[in-house]
Amino acid sequence: MSNKVAIIASNGGLFDAYKVFNIATAAAATEKEVTIFFTFEGLNFIHKQGINHLSVPAGSEQVAAGFENANIPSIPELLEMAQDLGVKFIACQMTMDVMGIKAEDLVDGIEVGGAVTFLEFAKDAAPSLSF
Amino acid sequence: MKVDHQLDVTGMACPMPIVKTKKTMNTLEVGATLEVVSTDAGSKADLPAWADSTGHQYIGLVEEDGKLIHYLRKCDPSKVEQVHFEKTFNVENLDSISSDSLVLDVREEVEYAFGHVKGSISIPFGQLFDNLSQLNKDKTIYVICRSGQRSDLACQMLQKNGFDEVFNVEQGMNGYKGLIEKTI
Repeated sequence: MSNKVAIIASNGGLFDAYKVFNIATAAAATEKEVTIFFTFEGLNFIHKQGINHLSVPAGSEQVAAGFENANIPSIPELLEMAQDLGVKFIACQMTMDVMGIKAEDLVDGIEVGGAVTFLEFAKDAAPSLSF
Repeated sequence: MKVDHQLDVTGMACPMPIVKTKKTMNTLEVGATLEVVSTDAGSKADLPAWADSTGHQYIGLVEEDGKLIHYLRKCDPSKVEQVHFEKTFNVENLDSISSDSLVLDVREEVEYAFGHVKGSISIPFGQLFDNLSQLNKDKTIYVICRSGQRSDLACQMLQKNGFDEVFNVEQGMNGYKGLIEKTI
């Protein structure tokens, strides 16, 4: 049985962020080795400014309010928790170049790499998830 | 119920109960029991699955005043279970032992509460040495735990302290198919 969980975060909304970080922290807390590859809009989640301005689909503002009411941790909190549990973050170099993002724009403790860096980790991971 | 550690995760939503349980479990000694108090309905399925996946023991759940109280015990999944005590007893014969013998359950109090052999007596392994006087040396004693490992150590200790008719119940409660009694 594989002890690795590989996650691709390629969408950048608030709900996408919860899907990514909930699965990642739950897997890490279950002794799995977890790596998240952040690409395209997914880079928002590890962007120092972007992480505080994640968008909510139009008409779903009420759902967003539900997160606070249900005492769900914020995304910055979940990110810190994930790092604390040993989840590895890889930022996609190519997307950073395209979007003009520099390594110093991203939160600390992140590796910058290409698709192969992620694929090397994901080759024997189960499950591999894409959000 | 008596446990070694308590963790309160009331009001917290997924994945926090799991994350907090993992962090607390890391600080405990192997064999320690943990009570997790949660209000997250998802924890009902998540904590047993988490224990199953990480190799820890999920003992049971009590629902009380809208709270979900989980009981767990820290295990070391890397440890290969070895049995050394020579005199063993087939768990399948446990329901046909003579009335002049007794079944001694050396699991933790909380494990015993969630299900034990009917009529067995409970003395957790850690308290056994101080409670030897409760046991009759003339009786045959069948010692049981969850898997046969703690009961093996208990048998060795009993023998060293002058108990001759002592048997380790193989497979323990994991292998017991007879009548289970609960005190919870």
